[in-house]
Amino acid sequence: MDGDPAGMNASPQSSSMEVKEDMNTQTESEHQPSKDALIDISFCGATPLVWKVSDMKRCRSAGVIGALVGSLARQPRQNVRLGRPLELLQEEALLLEDTSTAAASLQTQDCGDEETHAEAVRRYEAGLESSYKEQCALALEDKKTVLRRIMNEKENGTDDCGSAIRDRLNALDQAFRFPLPAMAVQLCTARAGFSHCPEERSFHSTDWPMPRDERLNTRFCVYRDLRNKGFYLTSAGKFGGDFLVYPGDPLRFHAHFIALCISMDEELPLCDILAIARLGSNVKKTVLLCSPKKCGETGNDESVEGDVVYSSLQWSSMV
Amino acid sequence: MADRETATDPLKHRVYEELLSPSELFEARSRSHKIPVRGQKDFLPSGSEQQTTRLQQSLDEHWTLLTEERVERLGNLVKAVWIPDERLVELQSPAGKFWQTMGFSERGKQYLLPEEALYLMECGNVQVFYRDLPLSIQEGYERFLSRETVTLHQYQVFGHLKRLGYVVNRFDSSSVPSTYERQLNLPASSWDKQRKQLKRKRSGSPVSSDKQNTAPEEKMTTEDQSEELVKTDPRLEEPMQSTDASDRTWWMEADVQPSPAQAPSAAPRWDFSSISFPDLGSRRSGCVSLASPDPSLLPGALEVGGCDLSLWLSRVNVKQEKLSRRDRERQRDRDRYHRDINSDREVRHCRNWAEYLQLLEDRRRRRQKDRPVHLWEQEVTPLTQPGQCTSHRELLDQISIIKSSSWSEGVSSLSSSDQWKISFDIYQPDTVAEFKKSHPGKPYTRMCVCSFDGPVPDLNAMKLLSFQSGDVPVTFAVVDHGDISFYCFKDFKLPTDAY
Repeated sequence: MDGDPAGMNASPQSSSMEVKEDMNTQTESEHQPSKDALIDISFCGATPLVWKVSDMKRCRSAGVIGALVGSLARQPRQNVRLGRPLELLQEEALLLEDTSTAAASLQTQDCGDEETHAEAVRRYEAGLESSYKEQCALALEDKKTVLRRIMNEKENGTDDCGSAIRDRLNALDQAFRFPLPAMAVQLCTARAGFSHCPEERSFHSTDWPMPRDERLNTRFCVYRDLRNKGFYLTSAGKFGGDFLVYPGDPLRFHAHFIALCISMDEELPLCDILAIARLGSNVKKTVLLCSPKKCGETGNDESVEGDVVYSSLQWSSMV
Repeated sequence: MADRETATDPLKHRVYEELLSPSELFEARSRSHKIPVRGQKDFLPSGSEQQTTRLQQSLDEHWTLLTEERVERLGNLVKAVWIPDERLVELQSPAGKFWQTMGFSERGKQYLLPEEALYLMECGNVQVFYRDLPLSIQEGYERFLSRETVTLHQYQVFGHLKRLGYVVNRFDSSSVPSTYERQLNLPASSWDKQRKQLKRKRSGSPVSSDKQNTAPEEKMTTEDQSEELVKTDPRLEEPMQSTDASDRTWWMEADVQPSPAQAPSAAPRWDFSSISFPDLGSRRSGCVSLASPDPSLLPGALEVGGCDLSLWLSRVNVKQEKLSRRDRERQRDRDRYHRDINSDREVRHCRNWAEYLQLLEDRRRRRQKDRPVHLWEQEVTPLTQPGQCTSHRELLDQISIIKSSSWSEGVSSLSSSDQWKISFDIYQPDTVAEFKKSHPGKPYTRMCVCSFDGPVPDLNAMKLLSFQSGDVPVTFAVVDHGDISFYCFKDFKLPTDAY
């Protein structure tokens, strides 16, 4: 993780083209195959999801927060803290595509080639076999260590028990049994690529199963603009708006604004404005009415400052 | 360097594919199971060292929790196989504790619905294989969730409620008793259980299809099967076995040929004056036993002896109702102006309904003569007359211009909507101990899944859903990008009577 959590120091243009390295991997980026350079977005219906932790870290460093919607591996039966996958807003996915940071994997087909598949199955089973052998050895070593420790403790006291344990230790190599059901097995979260079937990837959002309409375009323009200004945005359905705007990472800061996206020619009834203003004052957040001035369909426009008009609402008393 | 490359390539592959090494798997046994508590948030980013450190700590903790993979003991995992054609997961090793509330048996095998299997995969209880390779959670989401099974939003609601401990089943519209059945207060019999098991197999998705279209088809098929079942199930056959073969064919034939033309000729003419209907509820009758009914009234060669009523009478509640003081006062107020219709001499003179209706008409005309002409002969007439009403409610009924309507009015003419469907039946967590899959009982609530992107349910949708749900309340689960809110609408009646 780079030491620039708020992304404030990085300039908007450069952060998107750099391939961020994960500090934990020891390997160098020049040997990585080309597919690793892009964040992988997989679609469930029309919803974009991100599965790999490295991809999620890259998203966050690009300022895309998303929301976790799966069970947490450590404690799956609670709702306080959720785990992978990371669900992205459609605007977030569009931003990643716009800045060429991500590509979507479309519907994976079953590997038609029988031989490749059979080979993959063989490899998987061989992997299990070797894992079992290794775990056997580790378990044996572990047991020996435990017995030795007890023996040392006992030797400080009475030494009758010590000899019994020493005999056990010596017999351990023959007598030790590590049954197969005791083996630890991993249940992979993200696709483990066992079958190595070539994935079909799409780099253009027009192929993605997301319905593009006027409303999404308006929201995307506002999202992109606020993101480029350095704010972090998440969904604000429960606050009656489109986005919650944070000055820094949502893990550490409270939101300042509730952004409502309205296109320039859309009419908003006065009672709706009153309702949202009331709501904003109750939750101590400023309401922002955001309207893009002009926004192309393909999103190829350069993100110029002042592309979006903002109006904030504030209750004040008449003096 | 060549060695380093080959040595690090599998490592790179492992790290990229997030696979754990055997030693990591072994170490995972002693992992902590606690989730650290989140600290307080700040308001303004100040760029201070303290803030940066705390943010880094939160982020590190965040990534640690998310990076952790599920590691389970092979013996604790239930092995299962995904069958895409049936969209079901078949268990291949014995089920665990989850079998009490999830899954179903069919043709000797145990199955899980896709959403149940995916939830259990996320909990680390089940390992699902497809073509001999284990499915990852990602593949589970991609393969199991679709429009034909359960959508992502519906699965999020399902998972959320299951993690809280609720029992969540797919909604099956045919399991809701109709208003008539509810009136009859039919107890849940074994018949119901048979029907329910068949329904579980057939219900393809929580999206309940048009009730009008599928109900007759399903009824016919269940009847076919029910006829077979009746032949085999001894419990249902007890009343039938006492009769001989000719009676059975009589019963069956009537079912197979329900043509209306035959019905009137087959119906017997009953002389009600000669049939006595004993009044067992009244204490005055003092009836202790019933004689055997006339055999001509009974079907076939059925023999019924006399009936000793003392056991039943002791069960009938003939106690005087104990009213509280307020209830008695209320009853006195109501009865103050109550006139027993039989004490009216003119009514007693009427010998039949026609004469009685004529009497009412005469009275009405006489009353109208009392009405002032300038009020009643115009285009606009008064809504009521003095002396016409005896209670506030009657008066309000007469002067109200907007008639109140009930929730269930006009429901039968509503067409089912594609957008609004009930997805799940929810049972409360504290009923889990006694929960029986074959006989779950009445659910606590029914869930309809929607999102903030869609429209708010209108009156049409709400009426339709509450009708489909019967007497179980409907809750709306609104999914907004991972956050789920629950809304329900409560019926409210404006008070019309003042006491």
